[in-house]
Amino acid sequence: MKEVMEEAVLLFLLLVIYTPDAQGTRYSPPGKPELTRCRSPEKETFTCWWKPGSDGGLPTTHALYYRKENSDTIYECSDYHTAGENSCFFNKNDTSIWVNYNITVVASNALGSTFSDPVDIDVVYIVKPNPPEKVTVTVMELKEWPFLRVSWEPPHKADTRSGWITLIYELRVKLEGDDEWEMHLAGQQKLFNIFSLRSGGTYHVQVRCKPDHGFWSEWSSTSHIEIPDYLHREKSMWILIAVFSAFIFLILTWSLHMSSHSLKHCILPPVPGPKIKGFDKQLLKNGKSEDLLRVLVVSDFPPTTPSNYEDMLVEYLEVYVPQEQEVLLEESKDLHDSCLKFEGSTSDNDSGRVSCDSHTLLMDKCGEAKEEGRQTDQEDSTTEAEAQGQQKDWDQDTLMYANGDILSPEKSSGRVKTWPSVFSPLPQYTLSLPDQTSSLEMAKQHCYSDSLFCPGSTSSYLTHLGNNDNETLGPGSWEICLSNRQPYSHIPQMQTCQQVRSHSDVNISTIARKQEPAGLPLPFFRPTAYVEVQRFDEEDMVVLQSIVSDHGFHEGFPQMLQQEDYSKVKGVDSNNMLLLQTEAMKEDGDGCRCQDQVTNGVTESSCTLSISTTPHKPTAHIHTVVSTQDEMAQPASGYVDTATIFTLPTY
Amino acid sequence: LDKRQSFNFYIVILLSVLCLGVSSQPITDSQYLFSIAVSRVQNLHLLAQRLFSNFESTLQTDDQHQLNKIFLQDFCNSDYIISPIDKHETQRSSVLKLLSISYRLVESWEFSSRSLTGGSALRNQISPRLSELKTGIQMLITANQDGAEMFPDSTALQLAPYGNFYQSLGDDELLRRNYELLACFKKDMHKVETYLTVAKCRFSPEMNCTL
Repeated sequence: MKEVMEEAVLLFLLLVIYTPDAQGTRYSPPGKPELTRCRSPEKETFTCWWKPGSDGGLPTTHALYYRKENSDTIYECSDYHTAGENSCFFNKNDTSIWVNYNITVVASNALGSTFSDPVDIDVVYIVKPNPPEKVTVTVMELKEWPFLRVSWEPPHKADTRSGWITLIYELRVKLEGDDEWEMHLAGQQKLFNIFSLRSGGTYHVQVRCKPDHGFWSEWSSTSHIEIPDYLHREKSMWILIAVFSAFIFLILTWSLHMSSHSLKHCILPPVPGPKIKGFDKQLLKNGKSEDLLRVLVVSDFPPTTPSNYEDMLVEYLEVYVPQEQEVLLEESKDLHDSCLKFEGSTSDNDSGRVSCDSHTLLMDKCGEAKEEGRQTDQEDSTTEAEAQGQQKDWDQDTLMYANGDILSPEKSSGRVKTWPSVFSPLPQYTLSLPDQTSSLEMAKQHCYSDSLFCPGSTSSYLTHLGNNDNETLGPGSWEICLSNRQPYSHIPQMQTCQQVRSHSDVNISTIARKQEPAGLPLPFFRPTAYVEVQRFDEEDMVVLQSIVSDHGFHEGFPQMLQQEDYSKVKGVDSNNMLLLQTEAMKEDGDGCRCQDQVTNGVTESSCTLSISTTPHKPTAHIHTVVSTQDEMAQPASGYVDTATIFTLPTY
Repeated sequence: LDKRQSFNFYIVILLSVLCLGVSSQPITDSQYLFSIAVSRVQNLHLLAQRLFSNFESTLQTDDQHQLNKIFLQDFCNSDYIISPIDKHETQRSSVLKLLSISYRLVESWEFSSRSLTGGSALRNQISPRLSELKTGIQMLITANQDGAEMFPDSTALQLAPYGNFYQSLGDDELLRRNYELLACFKKDMHKVETYLTVAKCRFSPEMNCTL
């Protein structure tokens, strides 16, 4: 009994001893482990890692159990060591793709075991490859602009060649001292170029990869590369450019300097000075106004004294002149230089410029043809001056003709019609009475130089008298050659002219313009001025008006301009022809004499030109004008003194 | 005679070149078709992934765990289609086999994909794309047939409806089914993508496929 009691006490003591020990060490079953992650590097194997819980003071062991989907078989991990501590490695045989794994880790110790939470994984979605391998970075030279070429290899375990896994890559670059990386996505390629590098810097390059459905790998180890210093080459280029540009600049400056003058002319053209004939700048500079004015006066300016009036008259009666004959056209001396400037020289609104529609044609031949029949608006017409004016050679036959419409008598602006001296195809000469009421029919002279053909019968040879203001015609002699219809009938015209001349012994005075004209025949005029002849329609009178004359054509009567005229009526022959003759007729050049037209009212002698109706009349007499315009026959190539002829406004 | 012989010679050369050119035509066409098929199935897989992640984000975490468990126990509709499940098996299969399996997988989802939950915009794109993919794979199969037999099960198999597909389900069931559908769809698309990629690389080994 005592012995049993002793054993019981011993047991009790043992228990008491051990229990305090157990309570002091706190042994407990292990804590709950936790699966941290499972990864597959190549989609063929995978590894799972767990984190153990507290071990409970006792050595604990862990075990991993997994179950595949649709199967209740529990497998245990066969490899706990390959992947390191607390890991389980599933080899290829144990790995199935597209199969759900239910993995559990159990921690167990002497006191118990603890299960972790199960984790379901599909290998396909846990792929995280290894970083790319063999990353190489090289500096490639590209015409002094180097760049980096980065190349790498996929992780050796990843089977990209068979297409089992598809990887995409990414790399990052930074300078040595920088904090931020520059990311570049490279796609599936294993080569990449980096440009825009800083010379002389050191770059860090890293690469990583990722499967099409998975996780990014870790960055590869850093590759260091140093960019060579290429700035000095840049510098030399810049130096070269600077030198070259300086050289070019010098050349430009020198060339500019050399051509500064011409350049100045180009950029700042000189202001044109006054271009007045005979004008001397020096006078202006000298400041002598008298001289200046004198010069001006001498020039084309309107005359200040009437004495020069005649000289300045530019009227010339264009009269038909045979080829040999020169047009007895006078020009004012200031005009002899000028061409047939109808629109030209003396600028007046009412000037006697020839309004000639065909001026362009005639202007071409201006050089030779002297313009005479300019009608000026000067008050005084100097027929005398005209008569004494130069006779220009009209060989050129530039006929300047105003081919305007029939003029009304009211028109004051006389037209200057110039006929070339050689006026071969004379159309029918039409002389008509200027008559306000009657329709004046100015036969237009559309004849041109003898080289040209006059249009048929329609064209008529006209001598227009420039009409000016009330000025008397100068003593200039005009000559009108009346030609017959036939062109090229030079000879008969010549004859007529001559004949006219021969009869020019009649003094005909100029007829005042305003005076009532009688049936005065047209005088013969020398071609010193332009005579404007209008046909007569009533009284068979031919009225000639000189262009110089300032007489307007008011009435339908021929008016004679009173000037210091010399025109004489030579006489009236039996054929009722009034022969006109200028007093101071000049026989140079042509043989025709101008005879002034005399009006009734004018006491002075006037030349009248009568034109016979019969064509072909070789006489130079001026016969009475036939009314018909067409049938105007020129008895002779009479020259009508414009002085005595009132000008008719042709236009 | 010399001229004629040379002329004939040239004619023969020309014809042979032409024949070669013509004969090489189907290969390049297949390569082109493969590339297109792979890119299309990749797109479909991305769509499936997006759908699934959208759906999962709407779930509670508790539901997620629960559904995971349940999912393991259930079947995917296409599980009856036996397909290689590892690399070794896949590479052991012929190109034609891979193509036929892919064809069947795509076909099984052609109409079921309409019942997938998710954004209607995404969902409406899936079915026509599946149809197009099916057509492309069909073309590839005919191009590579070479008289070999088709996969024996392919013709006879009909697509069985998914479980109690037509049953009206409660909310929980509905949720579960949607989850399963999306997960299965995603998985199958990935399968097809892998098979096609491997087949493409096998078909034209000179191409450095997938680099």
